[in-house]
Order: sequence, then structure tokens, then C-alpha cells
Amino acid sequence: MTSIKERKIYEDISMEDVRARLEEIFGANNVSNKQVDLYPYSYDMTECTKQMPDFVVIPENKEQLIELVKFCNNHLIPIVPYISGNNVGGLTIPERGGIVVDFGKKMNKIIHIDDNMMYALLEPGVTFGQLEKYLDEHFPHLRYSYPFAPPYAGVVGNVILSGMNNMSCKLGSMGDSINGLEVITADGEIARIGSCFYGKDEADVKSWWSRYPMPDLMGLFINWQGMTGLVTKCAVQLWPKHEYKKIFLAVTFGLTDVASILREAGRTEVVDDISAVSVEVVKMSVEVPEPTKYPGEPDFAALLVISAKTKAQFEAKKEIVLETIDYLNENGKNIILADVDEFSRLFNLRVRCYLDLPAALLSLVEYSGLTWFGSYAPSHKLEELIEKVDKIFHKHNIPAFIYMKSMKSSHYSIFRPIMRYMKFKEGEEERYHTCLEEITDTCIDLGCIPYKTPTWMTAKLREKINPGWLNLFEKIKNCMDPNNIFNPGRWNT
Amino acid sequence: MVTVDREIVGKEFLEMALERCIKCSTCKYGYKNYERSCPSGEHFLFESYWASGRIRTIRGLLLGDLEWSKDLIDPIFACTTCGACSDSCQAPHADYIVDMIEALRELAVQHVGPAKNQEMLVSRCDEHCNPYGEDNSTNEDLKKKHNLPDKAEWLYFIGCTSNYRQQSLRDATLRFFKKVGIDFTLIDEHCCTSPMIRTGQLSIVHEYMNYNIEEIKKTGASKVITSCAGCYRTLIKDFKKYGVPHDFEVYHSLELVEKLLDEEKIELNSEFNHTVTYHDPCHLGRHMGIYELPRKIYKKIPGLKLVEMKRNRNFAWCCGAGGGVKIGYPDWAIDISKERLEEAKQTGASIITSTCPFCKTNLQDASDKYNFDFQVLDLMEIIDQLEINIKE
Repeated sequence: MTSIKERKIYEDISMEDVRARLEEIFGANNVSNKQVDLYPYSYDMTECTKQMPDFVVIPENKEQLIELVKFCNNHLIPIVPYISGNNVGGLTIPERGGIVVDFGKKMNKIIHIDDNMMYALLEPGVTFGQLEKYLDEHFPHLRYSYPFAPPYAGVVGNVILSGMNNMSCKLGSMGDSINGLEVITADGEIARIGSCFYGKDEADVKSWWSRYPMPDLMGLFINWQGMTGLVTKCAVQLWPKHEYKKIFLAVTFGLTDVASILREAGRTEVVDDISAVSVEVVKMSVEVPEPTKYPGEPDFAALLVISAKTKAQFEAKKEIVLETIDYLNENGKNIILADVDEFSRLFNLRVRCYLDLPAALLSLVEYSGLTWFGSYAPSHKLEELIEKVDKIFHKHNIPAFIYMKSMKSSHYSIFRPIMRYMKFKEGEEERYHTCLEEITDTCIDLGCIPYKTPTWMTAKLREKINPGWLNLFEKIKNCMDPNNIFNPGRWNT
Repeated sequence: MVTVDREIVGKEFLEMALERCIKCSTCKYGYKNYERSCPSGEHFLFESYWASGRIRTIRGLLLGDLEWSKDLIDPIFACTTCGACSDSCQAPHADYIVDMIEALRELAVQHVGPAKNQEMLVSRCDEHCNPYGEDNSTNEDLKKKHNLPDKAEWLYFIGCTSNYRQQSLRDATLRFFKKVGIDFTLIDEHCCTSPMIRTGQLSIVHEYMNYNIEEIKKTGASKVITSCAGCYRTLIKDFKKYGVPHDFEVYHSLELVEKLLDEEKIELNSEFNHTVTYHDPCHLGRHMGIYELPRKIYKKIPGLKLVEMKRNRNFAWCCGAGGGVKIGYPDWAIDISKERLEEAKQTGASIITSTCPFCKTNLQDASDKYNFDFQVLDLMEIIDQLEINIKE
């Protein structure tokens, strides 16, 4: 475990004095320690343990945050970054109390869109919906890539935690699409990382065009769950929005046939995104409340998205997808390919919600709880993962909600069993957690690497990770945050 | 397991808060248009001031994680209950978010009271039967002036805001009814109880609802018509919700206008040569789903040019008056309207109109305070200025 100084919060400084200092920094209206204001930040949709923060503050600029970091470092007060709390991993629950910094309310400006070099320079609180609207209105020829997430989820939170998107088959992890970061380190210093690193003063907004080729300090912040510093700006890549677009719906019969689609269609290099869900999820999308799979029904459905600049390119891509599915069927798979527009018209137009991301995903917002094992998975293990996890779901009498993606031309995959549940119904949280823990153990044994990990999951990982990695991780954490003020408790620090 | 006092009218909505909402935050702005939509959240910012935060407050109270204190008053009552969150939310509980907030208020009133000044809504009613504290009008003078019978097919339910604050709307509506020749009368009204329901103060609700029903019955009217969006919502939705059923039909005055125009029983003959923008009242729009009816009428008015604000229909920014905010948080209420008027200004319209006397009052207050120089009119007041040809 990371060695930390013994915490004596509010012993050398009173809560009143902390509040007074926070009010000096942020203004009285942007600071609260009222229980009613703190409570919504104390838990999320998952089964992770509730913990109240001591304060919540709403920052407006980095100067305020520099003062905050210096103050907290002097007094060993934890700082927990928060954008919208949609991470499904308890990442913004203040494990050790302290101050929640709510970036979502004021530090949410789109600072610059660079049309030439196709990137967006953002403050941490910008949401997917906000970015989509801005691009549609001002740069309709550009697009961002949107995850399977609600529109109010934060763009920067997604990339900094290696989330995925609806161009994942082409791009891979969103962490790879970051061009630059501005961060505040524990001593209150500002560092700019990426091609924006020239100059002593503010970087030119046009200088955030590349992450490489200098030593890649970005890795000190990506996937660290806010444990090494506060991000105050982030540049993310944009892409051309093509005129031609089509979504295929591939329905597979046979529990594991879908895995071959993820691999084979992924490696054609013509598909933007392939996401697959179990048939139960398809039924949820047409508003079947507690779906089960019946004999004879397909097992999975995969959405394959292609886009092209010209008609000729589009037709060629279509042909490659069709040929790939033919090839799989000729080799023993049982796949039916359909036009997703026809499907949505046939069943329920609300299915469109799934397709026009960012969107509220009806199947995910049904109840008061949602949890998952979200992981990067070795593609060649997908069949085994599907079979074992499907059995665990059935054993616990929980609808088998499996979501998968092909990443970066099928170099790797996403494997994500998901559970919706009644968070406050007696016994339910424990029941679902038992199932999730079993799935977690099984998937980790098969080589999956969870992302946006809750602390109970990182505790399991620590038992499996090689000692050298853990020692290096601890050394870096100690070096970056010697007083362990940044989101303490994450990764069991 | 959590139990909710059975006496709480909104019991089922409080329990719903435990079963629904993962706080995905889709309620925070217009769905798929991503515009600002929640006056409360946008102003106070902390999560506790958005719909999903209020649902968490309900849970905190029911689960015993939160204790009752005066700190709870603003997060619970500083909300116009405009329903923008309901419109944006895509979850199964979407249609009940306002009900949940009202149930939370009902609970809060029992423990910490309503927001400052909101208690006057009830105390004034106790004395004068209206929340403005004006001497109760029996409406006998109006009946005499307009030569109205004691019994009639239609009953015009004026509503307190029209009767005590926006009398020009009341009078325009009366003149229209007389002009088109419907058989109508008035009663000695008690408040429809909308302000009390919105602020969780239910002590007089049943008594007032029953009183009004009895008075209406005495007239023999089978149709009740009102020019107030708040009364309209209350008469249709809340009487049923609070277990006080009635057997009369309820109309907004514009529904009658539309019917007469559609059936070609009236014709609008003179011109209204102005550029006008329309503010959708929350109680008529999001709460009752009426968006196109007023627009249809505007389009039939010769000379009138209707221009839309950026946020219109279900995306309309609230005027700021509803949910007890006008009396509880008067300065903020006007600031909410200021944002609406700034939006209206961008349309180039010289007149902002609505179909609710409460919206009209607040928009006018904001226009006066911030020197917008808008003419604020209700659609019935525009119709009143027109020459109407009555056909057989």
C-alpha cells in the first residue's frame, strides 16, 4: 500500500477555517458543506460504499484550483474531481472525505475548435451533448466520437479514463485520442503536456495538435482516476463527418458466434464501430421490461457502423462487410444481416435513441442502480468469456446483459457484463454484487483488465499484478502526490 | 425497509424515488437540443438543485441519511416545477418527477415548513379565499355588468391571478364569451388550490376543491372554461390526483377559440400588424401537452407575424413564476423571466405573449425591472382587440 502521512484533517485547522478559506477562493455561493448539498455526491449508481464529502466547491478557473491544491496540500485535505458522476465505478465517491470539486457547472467551456488540425480544446466539465451541439452548429463537417453513455457524461472524464466511443473499431481507446493536457500538480504548479508545452505563458490555442514525440508524460494522468493531479484543460481529436453512413444489424444464432463478427469485421479496417449486445438487451431496447431469451431466438445482435466520404468508397465498404458475413456463414456461423433502420421502424422508434449517440440509453436508466464489470479483453478469449459469464448470469437469475466492442481493428476488445437493479430494495444490492464479483473473478482469470475500477475491484487486481508494476505504481504516486491528497483511496492508495 | 407515512398524499411518488433514477443527468438540459432548461439547477448549481439531486434528497430523508433542518428548504422549494426535467428524462419515472418534488414538499412542510413567505398563500386564503389576500370577489358585480344568468351551460372559472392581478385578461375573456354568445356564468370562487399544491401545503386543498365543485354544480354547468393555465392543469389533473373527482368538462379559453374558428362560427376580420413571440406556459405546455393550439390561433390572426424563440414548445425556458417561486424567491423569479425576455429580444418581436396570467405577470415584472420595453399580452387580449365576425 502507498505509505502516507497520518491524516489529521480538521485537527490543525477547523472546519470553519476551511470553509472561510474556500469561500475566499471560490466565493460563498460556490462552496457548501450543508448535508443536503453534499449528499448527492456521496454515492453513485453502483453498489460502491457511500461516503459523504466534507465540502463541495464549484470552480470557475484554474487560478482558484491552484490555490485550492496548495491549501489542501498544506492541510492534508483530500480533493476529489467530479464532472457528472456517471462513471459506473464509484470514482467520485470521496473515499476519505474531503472536498469534491464539481467541474461540471462552470468549468465547462469549449475553448477552441481547431478546424485545420481537427481537435477540440476543452475545460473538464464539457459534456458530450454540449460538444455535439457546438460542432453541429459551428463545424457541421466535423464530428466527435460518442460513447454508449448519456449526453450529460463528461468528455474529458471519458478520455482520461480510457473510455470507448462509436469509432472504437477504428480508433481504439479514447485515451489515445488526447492531444494535450493542462494539469495542476500537488505543489500547485501548472504543467502543459503535449505539443502545447512550448512557452512560459498560456499556450496558444492552436498549439494543442499532438501528443508526441516528447517523453509521454500524459501517462502520468491517464487512467489514474484523479490520483496524480487536477486536469484543467484537455485537447481531444475530432474527425471528419462523412456524408454516407450506414448501420448494419447482424443477428447471430449460437451463443458465441458473435465473437467471430467482432474479430473478422473488425480487422477489415472499414468499420467505424462494432458493438454487440445479448438478445436480452435488444429486447430492452424495444421496452421489454425484464427480458429473457427463449429457445430458438438469436443470442446476440451486433451493430456495424460504416461511413464514407464518397459513394464509391461507401459501396466498397458495404461490399466488404457483406462479404465478411458471407464468409463467416460459409464457415459454419449462423448470422443474419439486417438494416437497422428497418428494425427500428418495425419495432419501436425509440430504438433510435441507441443509434443517435450521445443518448439516454433506455435499458440503462430503468431502475435506481447500475453496475458492471467494464474491461479491456483479449479478443481470442471472447467465446470463453461469453460462455462463462452467461452461465453466471443464469445461475443468479439475472438477465444476461453483455456488451462488447471490437477495438482498433480488432487488436483487442471490450467485454462488459452490465446489471441494472433496484439499489434500495432490501437484499438486491448484495445479490447483484455477489454476481458481479463472480463475473469479475472469472474475467480477470481469463486476462480481462477492468477500467474505471471501483476500489473493491482494484484490490482484486493488486493480488494478480506483478510486484514490479505495483512498486513502480507506488513510487510514481508517492512522487506525484506525496501527501496523498488527490482522490485518496482509489486503487487502494 | 423504508416506510412512508400512509397519510402522505404523494406516498407512491416518494417510494418511486427509491426505485428509479440512476442520476444519469439527462434531466439537466433539453433532450437532444442540449439547451439550458432547469432554472433551479442553472442558478444554484449544486447537484441538490437539479431533479436527480432532489430525488436523492428524498432518498436521504427516507433512508435516514439526512436529517430535517432549515438547510433543506432551498433545495426543496427553490424550483419552479416547470417540468423541463420531466420532458428531458427518458427513464420510466419521467412523467412523475414533478409529482415527486411536490410529494417531497408535502413532507417538508410537515417537518420544516415551506419557503419564506409561501405560508402566506394559505393564511391569505384562510381570510380571503385567494392567495393574494385581496378582498374576496363574489363576482356578483361582474355577473351584473355582463348580464349573466345564475344557471348556464358554461362556467367561466376566472382564477385568482386573472381576477386580482390581470383583470384586463379577465375582462378580455368575458367580452369574448359575450361576443360569441356562449351561455355562461360565474361563481363565487375559492382558489383552485394550485399554489398550495405546488408548495406542498395541502391543508385546505380538499375543502377548496369540494367547495368549488359544489358551487359549479349549483349553476348546472357541464363545461368549465378558464383562461388560466394553472387553473386548467389543476382542474384536470390535480382534482383527480387528490381524489376529488368531478363530472364537468374542462376547457382552456383558447380551446373554445380554436373550436369556433375551425367550425367557421367566427371570423377574425381586423388586422393585428405586429411581430409577436409566444411563451409556452409550463402548465399548458409541458404539464398538459398543449403546444400547437395557440400557434394555430396566432397564425389565423390577420397581420400578426409569429416568430419563435430559440427554446420553444417543450424546450421553453420557464417564466420563473411557478412552483411558489414568485412568492418565495421574488428576485430570482424575475431574473428567470429576464433570461426569457433576452431570448425574446433576439426574435425581433415587440410583443411577448402567453396564455397564462401568471406568466404574464412575471414577464411584465421583468420587462419593467430591466427596461425591456416589451408589450406583454395574453393571446385573449390580442383577440379582444380584433373585430370578430359572428356567423350563424
